[in-house]
Amino acid sequence: MLKFFTSSQSGDLNIVAIWMFLIFVVVTLYITFWAAKKTQSTNNFFTAGGNITGLQNGLAISGDFMSAASFLGISGLVFLSGFDGLIYSIGFLVGWPIILLLIAEPLRNLGKYGFSDVVSFRLNEKPVRILSAFGSLSTVILYLIAQMVGAGKLIEILFGLPYITAEIIVGILMILYVTFGGMLATTWVQIIKAILLLTGATIIAFLVLNQFNFSFNQFFDAAVNTHDNGSAILAPGGLISDPVSAISLGLALMFGTAGLPHILMRFFTVSNAKQARRSVAFATGFIGYFYILTFIIGFGAIILVSNNPAYLSGTGEILGDNNMAAIHLAHAVGGNILLGFISAVAFATILAVVSGLTLAGASAISHDLYANVIKKGANDKSQMIVSKFATILLGFMAILLGIIFEEQNVAFMVGLAFAIAASTNFPILFLSIYWKNITTRGVLAGGSAGLILCIILVILGPIVWVDILNNTKAIFPYKYPALFSMTITFIGIWFFSVTDRSLQASKEKALFENQYFRAQTGKNK
Amino acid sequence: MHNENLFKNLIDKKKLIIRPLLFLTVVPYLTFICIIAFYPHYFGNMLFNSSVSIGIILGFILIIIIWVITLLYVYLANKHIEPIIKELNS
Repeated sequence: MLKFFTSSQSGDLNIVAIWMFLIFVVVTLYITFWAAKKTQSTNNFFTAGGNITGLQNGLAISGDFMSAASFLGISGLVFLSGFDGLIYSIGFLVGWPIILLLIAEPLRNLGKYGFSDVVSFRLNEKPVRILSAFGSLSTVILYLIAQMVGAGKLIEILFGLPYITAEIIVGILMILYVTFGGMLATTWVQIIKAILLLTGATIIAFLVLNQFNFSFNQFFDAAVNTHDNGSAILAPGGLISDPVSAISLGLALMFGTAGLPHILMRFFTVSNAKQARRSVAFATGFIGYFYILTFIIGFGAIILVSNNPAYLSGTGEILGDNNMAAIHLAHAVGGNILLGFISAVAFATILAVVSGLTLAGASAISHDLYANVIKKGANDKSQMIVSKFATILLGFMAILLGIIFEEQNVAFMVGLAFAIAASTNFPILFLSIYWKNITTRGVLAGGSAGLILCIILVILGPIVWVDILNNTKAIFPYKYPALFSMTITFIGIWFFSVTDRSLQASKEKALFENQYFRAQTGKNK
Repeated sequence: MHNENLFKNLIDKKKLIIRPLLFLTVVPYLTFICIIAFYPHYFGNMLFNSSVSIGIILGFILIIIIWVITLLYVYLANKHIEPIIKELNS
């Protein structure tokens, strides 16, 4: 029991972390209890009744995006190699104008709960929904595994809880939020956590820059003088070793965001396309600001953590791993209080992100597979029951997978999730909105080719084939498959659509005009 | 017929707003990625006599460009697109 209250850092009681976290849990469970009364229909369960405002949704979207993995992972990457962290940040951010300009409004105008509604709007519903559900579920599950494993390790270090206990706590709390409070509770958990995380990161960055009189010259000089690689940390380094990888990663990040089901789902929580636009503008603001903070935090950690013996092991390695850089920095600039605050926020962040992911997965199961494929015309009550069962199932699966993958390197899973989103979900969504001649056959052939190729290339690539399966040489030489798999999807959809001469295909083309009108205006022609 | 014209007007305006903004998003980003891909050392040069590298400055400028694009789009859409949609729906 004593271990529960012990901070791993110094062995002192970290009362702040425990209290902060307990307060967060009490407040969010209270919100769940309140939200449960308003969550009586499937529509409320998945869209919070469509009553979330643009600002609230913007905060919640940024909450979905500012996962513990991206807060700790990107600041850890900056800590390790400097500039390279910025490549990820900018790639994640540039997806937002793409969503805003091309996707947000048509998505809101055509869909009900998710992007599959848009793809199946004029195409043959059954097969298209099955493919979309596959795309959604594989993205969600990969993301979920990465979050759960990261969560278990982080909580193990921060709160001294055993890994399995941490997995169970995260899983159970998430099941409670989602099954009882649905989208409404999940949104508010996201909003609270986004505000806490932005506040915490701002405080760390402020305290760091304060030590350098807010002079970036002094700040970067100090980092260059401390880091082993010297001034190389201010330029692109080891993350990207060749032009193909750079472009492939760049594409996956830019278009992947526009294919993440838990992000796309958030556009249905607002009342109309106008609010959807506002959400993106707010979200982009918060997320961009957050990435600037993580960059400062990463460089701050180079200066203040990397040669402070308190945060290093006997051999000079950082305690925990690079992902702990931000946490150690919080202690270095703000003592136990800031450490406790940031630890609790990291825990809250994990809970919020896994809730959003689970809700998106439940929507693919109950809305796409159950209500539109398995039992067409199912009533609202049975759909609601399936949604809740799907949530519980995904929750237990998350706990189980988290435990199974404990010893595995899961960092590649977020990358793979983005690659699948960019190679399958984004192209089918984008082309079904804008390309008149798309047909069911084209979507099925191109979409599944991209999905399968993406998975195969990751398995044959350096990360899985060499690092995990211990082969000497990768069969596919690049770490990032998106350039190839995305191209195949687009070509596949194009080829199998234009050669489709079936009656069904001409019917689908004829329906485009009405769909396009509705996509742009929100009303039927 | 009135509606047909309004809708055409809506699409024209949308294209006029979206295309340049899309260009301003994709081209600077791809340029940034291509410099990383082909001339990574260029980004290591310092800006004037400061200790801030060109790569870091351009990265921050890109973040600002992305902010400006989203805000500009929301502003232009509310001003020029929303009124047409309202009229179409009335």
